[in-house]
Amino acid sequence: MFYRRAGIRHTRYQDERQIWPLPFDRRLALLIFLLAIFAPLLIDRLYLVSYLLPWVIWSTAALGLNFLMGGAGQIHLGYGAVIAIGAYASVHMVRAGLPFELAMIGGGLLSAAVGMIFGATALRVKGLYLAMATLAMQYIVDFVIIQFPAISGGTQATLQVPRVSFLGVEVTGDLAPYYVALLICLLVTLFMLNLRRSSFGRALAAVREKDYAAAVIGVNTFRYKLLAFWVSSFIGGVVGSVLAVCYYRAISPDQFHLDLSIQLVAMVIVGGLGSVLGSFFGAALILFAPILLNQFFGFAASELGMTISTDLRSHVPLMLYGAMIVGFLLWEPLGLAKIYANLRNYFLVWPFRHARQ
Amino acid sequence: MKRREFLTATAAAAVLSQMPIRIAAAQDKVIRFSMPQDFTKVYTFVTAEYSQGQRDYLTLVNLQGGINGHQIVADVSDHGNDLPRAIEAYERAKSEGAVLIDPLSTPVARALVPRALEDKINLITAFSGRSDAADGTAFPYVLPLSPNYWTQAALLIDFFRQKDGDLNGKKICYVHIDTPFGKEPLPILQKLAEQQGFELVTFPYTPPGNDQSAIWPQVRRARPDWVMFWGAGVGQTTALTEAIRNGLDMSRLSSSVWISESDMEVVGAEQCTGVLKVEPCVSGREPELIQEILKEVVEPDKGAGPEDKVGTAYYNYGVMLAAIMVEGVRKAFEKDPDGPISGEWLNAGLRSISDFTAEGLIPATTITPEDHQGGGQGRIAHWDGAKFVPDTDFFSANQDVVWEEVRKYSEEFKKTGK
Amino acid sequence: MDMLLLAELAINGVFIGLMYALVAAGIVLIYKTSGIANLAQGALAMMGGYLAWAFSALTGFPIWIAIPLALVAMFLIGTLLERFALRRMVGQPIIMVIMLTLGLEIMLRGVLPGFFGSAVKRLDIGIPPTPFFIGDIFLNKATLIGGSVSLLLILVAIYFFNSRLGIIMRAVSDDQSAAWSVGIKVERAIAIAWGLSAVMATAAGVLWGATQGVDWSLSLLLIKALAIAILGGLDSLPGVLIAGVIVGLAESLATGVLDPIVGGGTRDVVASVIIVLTLLLRPHGLFGREHIERV
Repeated sequence: MFYRRAGIRHTRYQDERQIWPLPFDRRLALLIFLLAIFAPLLIDRLYLVSYLLPWVIWSTAALGLNFLMGGAGQIHLGYGAVIAIGAYASVHMVRAGLPFELAMIGGGLLSAAVGMIFGATALRVKGLYLAMATLAMQYIVDFVIIQFPAISGGTQATLQVPRVSFLGVEVTGDLAPYYVALLICLLVTLFMLNLRRSSFGRALAAVREKDYAAAVIGVNTFRYKLLAFWVSSFIGGVVGSVLAVCYYRAISPDQFHLDLSIQLVAMVIVGGLGSVLGSFFGAALILFAPILLNQFFGFAASELGMTISTDLRSHVPLMLYGAMIVGFLLWEPLGLAKIYANLRNYFLVWPFRHARQ
Repeated sequence: MKRREFLTATAAAAVLSQMPIRIAAAQDKVIRFSMPQDFTKVYTFVTAEYSQGQRDYLTLVNLQGGINGHQIVADVSDHGNDLPRAIEAYERAKSEGAVLIDPLSTPVARALVPRALEDKINLITAFSGRSDAADGTAFPYVLPLSPNYWTQAALLIDFFRQKDGDLNGKKICYVHIDTPFGKEPLPILQKLAEQQGFELVTFPYTPPGNDQSAIWPQVRRARPDWVMFWGAGVGQTTALTEAIRNGLDMSRLSSSVWISESDMEVVGAEQCTGVLKVEPCVSGREPELIQEILKEVVEPDKGAGPEDKVGTAYYNYGVMLAAIMVEGVRKAFEKDPDGPISGEWLNAGLRSISDFTAEGLIPATTITPEDHQGGGQGRIAHWDGAKFVPDTDFFSANQDVVWEEVRKYSEEFKKTGK
Repeated sequence: MDMLLLAELAINGVFIGLMYALVAAGIVLIYKTSGIANLAQGALAMMGGYLAWAFSALTGFPIWIAIPLALVAMFLIGTLLERFALRRMVGQPIIMVIMLTLGLEIMLRGVLPGFFGSAVKRLDIGIPPTPFFIGDIFLNKATLIGGSVSLLLILVAIYFFNSRLGIIMRAVSDDQSAAWSVGIKVERAIAIAWGLSAVMATAAGVLWGATQGVDWSLSLLLIKALAIAILGGLDSLPGVLIAGVIVGLAESLATGVLDPIVGGGTRDVVASVIIVLTLLLRPHGLFGREHIERV
């Protein structure tokens, strides 16, 4: 009905290689893009500032992590630390008088450099050990930030972000931060979408599936793994500077603790490993489920007279957060992206089910 | 397709949960306090009782007809010490027209400062947030309304001086959680050490402080005259346990406002006898205000939590803060009876509170546009095995040193904050 | 440097290390049989502590009955976890399994404080809090007893691995399909490993709960346990003992020696540094077997 297809029939290789081979998908992507652009006109500022903006930023971060986890098959439990490095580096650069555009790239480069050091450590090992090495990175970076007042910003341990401008537009108020975050998100999304079609992406996929096998067919696995760490950490660093400037406006060490790393890993898993769309879904679910549930319980308690003890009520988000990770892994390991794909496949040829291959 | 049904149900719940806000916002004659607090993460040890106290007091005020015919609505929610959630709660409060927000969390308060200053919403940072927010000229919309950590440390040092006569040549150990919160009193302590000639030895422990077994033997070996331990939640009980195990003199052991009856129960009420703490308000059920709450709110079963928590230290902190906030509303009505209810309106009220005692619950508190701390008063109390017994009256001490530090940081904020 | 202080820190560090090692032993037990690293081990310890507290405080059993009850309950919970969660993950990438256990950890951290209340609970197992000195050296009774019990339990576990059931488990860990083909019930062996690991976690939770009180922060034992398990070698129980002592010592001495120099709490970062150094210098740990990977 929507897709008006009875199976996909391509006549040229270019058609098959398109990001969105179906006109419907192209139109949908365009619609979402337009909605994102005109969102400030369509929704209340509350939803723009406290839902859409963090969603865009966290999705970008999830994309960066998904590049490493889904794209190259390397687990990373210290992505929060990567973001922290980017955030602190860029805020210090901005405070030193560097323009924001340069500071953003500088933050990214520093994150990439540090991320690669730990990546190189970790690359001798894999799987569980890699997880542990990145976890250790999280703790060590946290420690360094807290222990050096020069980094964390003195006794108050808070760094105020000065007013900055991005490409000539001052990043203040509600709109400018949103558009800056959206722009970065768009760039990262385009990069991720096109990754599959590049030799880099294919080499990463080979490494992900089996590194020895990849080495046998001539892919330099060490180089590509390191490169994956580099790119992913660079994205993380850039996200860090966006997060600091566009959203937090004042940064302190506890914003980037292990919780953030776990949150991001959960977004990637719940959304779907290796899926661009999934990163957005996962970010939305993990970010908003606790907020919405909390409001729902507050509502249930006050309007419906449901009596739940405060302790229980306030721990429900945490329980569901964990249950969601467990549930998805058990019943839909490919995450929300797979659920979407199932729906899409169902409707692809609907109502002519027999046409499905 | 069960999964799809589940998703639909979640989506429906999500939409539904957005509804009540819009309805409630339509009512008038309402003053909205936003109280997103941390019920689940770091501040679990205090939030439940603190929030219970706040809500019970607000219920009492509303039962008595509200202020000037206005009911006070408290939006209590959980931000889990998580910034996106706290910012969401803040922005929601802002768009609902809340005049005040009380996040009771240092990281959250710190992160909300730039927003609150910009949006002119009163950010209450009682016992949390930046200590330099005591300077109202730099932080007009950030109100600690309570003695900050610098003051608390200064009060304790002065208490030691009162006890020993002179601190010259004495040794004071400061055992603290290794976070910005724990490190905060350091500059004050160092200054006072210089001034009064005592030796300061500091022992940081890693958060959350559930393992301090290697710290306290060192404290014992340092043979201190006085020990201060600075932490929260599990860090406090662990500190106490280890201090007992090391055989330290309990009556020379002191902490900030963050120690309560339940901590003593965890460690063992008997063994803790003598431990000192800073009290910002009277504890127990004796104060008139608490009696009133018991009679009018708790007895008719309108209380916000279990009855046995009424009158605990943290419960009374909650009542104290709610009482000051409501007093601010009262003052605001005095100043401008018809003025549109806004953050600015309440700010004027809060900053003109003078000699307010909450019927004897708190020391006479005066908030001015310059001093957001309320005079920096507190008293020292010790645990007698069943309750906290005051050793001193409410007093204020070493405020010159505290304010020197406050100004130093607030000047810096004024210069670089924007 | 005060030598007495160092001696004191060293002794206490060793016993603390043994108490960490008990949590690590649970991780090793599961890794040995099923090749899965259980990141929920800290949460299981927390759960054990909570259950022991609940049995004694809520139902009024004396503590020496409450603890065995908690142990039995946790054995069942451990096997059920394996049966209904982990078994379904067989054949999935390691990343998924790690995340599953992490998800369990987060969930338990919500469930237990949610239902039992988040305030710190007192768990009194009858260790008197009075100080205990030998000469001028202070010995912490709680850690002394806790460390000794842990040592005993780990030794029992090592001994157990030489019993019939233990040999079955070793066969399973060597090669699951080969074990299967000679008639060993692989699933049952793995389930028992989970149960036993949950029992060890409970013991650790009770011992730690007695020293610090029971609350969510018990789940933070995980990072120390991981450092120990990695240093000792993920598949070596004796390695856990030695690594536990090393980590305990390193932490305790770091607190005494490094803290004054750095001016901050170095205790937790020690575990992280140990992890990184182990992975750099000897990825399979001190006593672990090196894996040979085949394409």
